[in-house]
Amino acid sequence: MTKTLRNRRLRYSVVMIAVIALVAVFVVRLVDIQVVQADELSQAAESKRSIPVTLYGTRGTIVDRDGTALAESVVRYNITTSPRLVKSFEGKLGGTRVKDVSVDQALSAIAKASGGDVATMQKNIAADPKSDFAYLVKGIDVAHYEAVRALQVPWLYPEQQAARSYPTGAATGNVTGFMGTDGAQAGLELAYQKCLAGTNGSETYERGEDGVQLPGSTVTQKRAKDGGTLVTTIDSDLQYMASQDIADAAQQLKAESATATVVNAKTGEVLAVADYPTVDPNDVDATKDPGAYGSRALTAAYEPGSTIKAAIAAALIDKGLASPTTQAVVPYSRTFPWGGTIHDSEFHPTENLTLTGILRDSSNVGITELGSKLTTQQRYDVMREFGLFEPEPAIDYPGQPTMNYGASPQWDKQTDINSMFGQGISTTAMQVSSIYQTLANQGVRIPLHMVKGCQTEDGKTIDAPDVQSKRVVSAAAATQTVDMLQSVVTGGTLVGMKPISGYNIAAKTGTAEVADGAKGYGADRIISVAGMAPAEDPQYVVTVTFTKPQTTKWSSGAAPAFRTLMSQVLEKYRVAPSTTQARTYPSTW
Amino acid sequence: MSTNLALVDPVVAPSRAPRPDSVRPERQRPELVEVTPTKAQRRARPRVAYAIVAIAALGLLLLAQLGISMALSQGAYTLSSLKTEQTGLTRTQASLSEGLKVLESPQNLARNAQALGMIANSTPVYLDPKTGTVYGTPTPATPEEATGNTANQVPNSLLGDVPLAARPGDTATSKENSAAAPAAAAAAPAASPAAAAPAAAAPAAAADTEKAGASSASDQPSAKSSVESDANQLQAPTTR
Repeated sequence: MTKTLRNRRLRYSVVMIAVIALVAVFVVRLVDIQVVQADELSQAAESKRSIPVTLYGTRGTIVDRDGTALAESVVRYNITTSPRLVKSFEGKLGGTRVKDVSVDQALSAIAKASGGDVATMQKNIAADPKSDFAYLVKGIDVAHYEAVRALQVPWLYPEQQAARSYPTGAATGNVTGFMGTDGAQAGLELAYQKCLAGTNGSETYERGEDGVQLPGSTVTQKRAKDGGTLVTTIDSDLQYMASQDIADAAQQLKAESATATVVNAKTGEVLAVADYPTVDPNDVDATKDPGAYGSRALTAAYEPGSTIKAAIAAALIDKGLASPTTQAVVPYSRTFPWGGTIHDSEFHPTENLTLTGILRDSSNVGITELGSKLTTQQRYDVMREFGLFEPEPAIDYPGQPTMNYGASPQWDKQTDINSMFGQGISTTAMQVSSIYQTLANQGVRIPLHMVKGCQTEDGKTIDAPDVQSKRVVSAAAATQTVDMLQSVVTGGTLVGMKPISGYNIAAKTGTAEVADGAKGYGADRIISVAGMAPAEDPQYVVTVTFTKPQTTKWSSGAAPAFRTLMSQVLEKYRVAPSTTQARTYPSTW
Repeated sequence: MSTNLALVDPVVAPSRAPRPDSVRPERQRPELVEVTPTKAQRRARPRVAYAIVAIAALGLLLLAQLGISMALSQGAYTLSSLKTEQTGLTRTQASLSEGLKVLESPQNLARNAQALGMIANSTPVYLDPKTGTVYGTPTPATPEEATGNTANQVPNSLLGDVPLAARPGDTATSKENSAAAPAAAAAAPAASPAAAAPAAAAPAAAADTEKAGASSASDQPSAKSSVESDANQLQAPTTR
C-alpha cells in the first residue's frame, strides 16, 4: 500500500516538475520575445506589413479683410516614371479596346492629357535609361492628373506636391509676395513664414496582402499641423481698383513706377497698397524687374517734397507759433547767408500770403519763413512723431528701409531749410500716408498696419501688430491744418482737379526732385497727391505717387488718379457726403 | 465533481496532519468504497445537456467572433473604398473651389463687366432713405468719364484660359436672347436713362415722405426702396 502511494506521489512530482519546467521554458521564451527581443521583432514584423504615411500640414491661407483668399495652398501633381521600366505594354490607353501600346504612343497620350511636352519627356527618359526616377510633367492640376491617371499607363508614378495659388493675381502680388522652390521669397509670405507654414506629421498603418488597410492598425506618430490663416486689412477689390488706376495713369504719364495707398483714417488699417509695375505671383517669371517683386510703397525711400509741408504747418499751429491766418511776405526766392538759394516752383512777384496761402500755393519760400520759427530739433522731433525716420512699427514686411537717424538730425544748414519742403529727407509712400492719417484723425497717429493677425489652427490669434495710438499734434492743430488743405483743392495746386460731387476734399500735392545719385538733382520728379475725404470728418486717406513721369513733371499729373481712386473709395465704403461747405481761411492779406 | 472528491480525498489526506477518527477508516479501504450518491448529488452530476449547451455556446462564441472579424475586415474594404472615393471628391472639391476663386477675382469681374458693356459712373449719387435727401449731382455715366473702363492692367495668369462672358446676342441661342440683342447693342445710350431713373424717382419719393407725416415715417423708407428697386428692375432686362 505505501509503495503504491509512494509511486503515485513520485508520478505526481514528476508531472509537476515537468509542468513547471515547461511553464518556465514558456516564460523564458515569452520574456525573450516580449521584452528582450521585443523591439527588433516588432520592427521586423511591422516592416513587413506597415506602411508609413506622411500627413501633410497645409500652408495657411492669406485672406483679405472680408476673408477672400489672396494666397492659398493647392494640390498639384508631378508625373514621374522609372525609365528602367518604360516599355511598350498592353492596355487600353484611354480607349475601349486592349491593344499593344508603344512607348511613343503612351508618351504622346500622356502629353495630350497633361498638357506636357513629348520632347521633354523623351529627353528626361533618355537622360539615364537605367535610372529609377525621372520627371515627365511637373505641377499639373487635378483635372489633368485625372486625365493622365485614366490612361492607366503601368509605369507612371504620380507624386503629390503642395503649390500656391494667388486668385487675385497681380492685384495683391506686391502684398502677398510669392513662394519659390526654396520657400517664401517675398512679401507677407516671407514675413509671416512662421504663422503660415504647416508642419508635416506621420502615421503608419498595416495592410493585408491585397493592399487593404487592416482595421485598427493606424498609429499616428505625429499629427500634421496646418499653418495659420493670415488675416490682412487689405480690401482686395479696392486694391485691384487702385492697381488699375495707377497702372493706367502711370502709362499715360510714362512714369517709371507708381504707388497708391488707401488708409482708414480712424483705425490705421491699410485698405490698399498698390504698386505699378507689380508682380503676378502666379507667374513670377513674367516680371523681369526684381524691383517690382515687392511693394515700392513700403520699401522705396524717396524725398517726399511738398506733402511734408502739412506736417510743418500742423507743428507750427500746435506749438502756438502760427495760425492759419499768420501773415508772411513771400518772395519768389530766398538766398541764405551761406550762399544757398531756394525758390518756388513757379515764378511769382512777392506776395502777401497767410499760412493757408502758403500751403495752397505750395510755396517753398513761405513755409521756410514760417517754419524757421520752430527750432531744428522741434521740426525733427515732430517729423519723427509723425512716423518719419523709422521703419513702420506695425508693418512687418521684408525690405523696408532701415532708418537710423538717431535722436537729433544730422542736417547741414541747407538741408535744415530744405527738409521743410520735403527735400533732403527720405520717406516711403506709406509714411507720407501716415502723416495724413494723423492729421485726418485729429492729430492722433495710429501706426499703419496691414495685418490683423494670424489665426492658428486651434483658434488663437497671434502676431497681431502692436497698434498703440499716440497724439502728435493737438486736435485743433490737426483740424485747422485739414481745413487749410481744403484750399489746395478749392483754389490751389489742385484747382484743376475735377471735384468729386458732394464731397469736400483736403489734399496736398508734392513735386519732389529726384536726387541723381551724384550730388545734385536731375530733371526727373516724383509727383504725388496725398489727401483725405470728407474734409470735415475725414474717413479715408488716399495717396498716389508717380516716379519719374515724362509727359508732365507737375504734381497736377497725379491728380486724376487721386480723384479716381478717392471717388472709388468713397463710393465703395458708402461714405456719407459732406453736408457743409468747404471751410477755408483767407489765403492772402 | 462529487465523485472526484471521493476519489481524491485519500490521496490528499496523508499529506496532512493525522486526523484520527474520521480519516483512518477511509484510508484502509480507499478503492473499495462504493459511493452511493445522494439524490442531490445525482442531480448535480453533469448531464449531456450541459455539455451540449457549453459546446454550443463555445461554438456560437467562435462563430460570433468569426462573424465580427469578417464584418470588420469587410468594413475595412468598405472603408478603403470610401476613403478612395473621399480623396477623389476632396480633390474635385478643391479643384472646383480653386476655379471659383479665380472666377471671383476682381480682374475677372471687371473684364466681364466691360465685355458686357457696363461702365462705372465716376460721380456717385446717394439717396438717404430716411430723409429722402439726394447727395451729389446725378450725372449720366459716360465711357469717357467712367472709372475702370480701361483694359485690365493688372495681370493674373490664372485667367489665361478663362473665357469671357459673351454679350447677349453674340451667342444668341434662345429667342429671348436674340430679342435682347438690339437693346444690348445700344448699351451706351441705354446707360443714361438707367442712371437718370433713380434720380428722377428720388424727388417724388421725398415728397411722399413729407405727405405721410411722422407716424408712418418709419414704414416709408422700405416702401420707397422697393419702388426704387422696381425702377431698377424695369431697366435691368435691357442690359442683361
